[in-house]
Amino acid sequence: MSLVAQVIAQSDAAERFLSSSEIAKLEDFFSKGQVRIRTAQKLADNEQKIVQEGSKRFWAKCPNTPSNKGNPQKTALCQRDQAWYIRLISYCVLAGNEKPLDDIGLNGMREMYLSLGVPLPNLRVAMSCLKDVAADVLSAEEMAMAAPYFDRLIRAF
Amino acid sequence: MKDTITSLINPADERGSYLDASALDQLNRYFQSGSMRVKAAKTISSTASSIISKTVAKSLLYGDITLPGGNMYPTRRYAACLRDLTYFLRYATYAMLAADTSILDERVLNGLKETYITLGVPIDRVIEALNAMKEVLTESLGTDAGQEMGVYLDHIIAGLS
Repeated sequence: MSLVAQVIAQSDAAERFLSSSEIAKLEDFFSKGQVRIRTAQKLADNEQKIVQEGSKRFWAKCPNTPSNKGNPQKTALCQRDQAWYIRLISYCVLAGNEKPLDDIGLNGMREMYLSLGVPLPNLRVAMSCLKDVAADVLSAEEMAMAAPYFDRLIRAF
Repeated sequence: MKDTITSLINPADERGSYLDASALDQLNRYFQSGSMRVKAAKTISSTASSIISKTVAKSLLYGDITLPGGNMYPTRRYAACLRDLTYFLRYATYAMLAADTSILDERVLNGLKETYITLGVPIDRVIEALNAMKEVLTESLGTDAGQEMGVYLDHIIAGLS
């Protein structure tokens, strides 16, 4: 559910036309449409760079972790998941809220990684490394669009 | 409800991919139309009761329907008619913002025609009022936004026809 749908649902639940604060939210959302598209495109184009460089920084900080134990299959799976989170963040940038990340990638995430034996504190470090690399790749304006979702992701671990 | 943005994200996620060029292009056009949509919603939200009064004046007020024996007589039924026209305007505004008709199907049209038939509401007069509402909106919002609202009011008309 995008920010637009969220505002509509809220207004509908109150059985009224849009309030001035709801109008203001939508004005703000649409005024940044071009940046949203650009940010999502850049995240897509640089996904592998963010993941590869992010892994290097992660392993430097946290060498004893499942993705760094010389099992290429496991490393590939970990990096695939990280790439998926970049993709979900690109959806959030376009949707204007955290729903895509929450619904697709965070609901049930802890249980999944605990069952896989992947330590959550390590993942937290990995995700903050992804954020650092993204900040190098994106412009300040684009990063301002994506940062809240990286922060949400980091907090979730 | 669906909306344009979610309708583009969901299928991309099912493929595990980013939005492709054509989806981004669609989204870009939607974003570019955003300020027109929000401006229209703002005007409608602050002048809804006047839009409804004008709509009724243009379509129903001076006909037999408001006289004894008509479906807008007595006042209780007149008020019910205003309420329904206000629903149509509000949900068409939501749909226009989302650029998606699904909220109309889910929240307005689902069972509406059957209800009107059961209650003996003259559907042709409802459609006449909806057409008048399109004219009132075009006068108030200008051609572009008026046409865009027309898309969603036409969807309601099609659902009742």
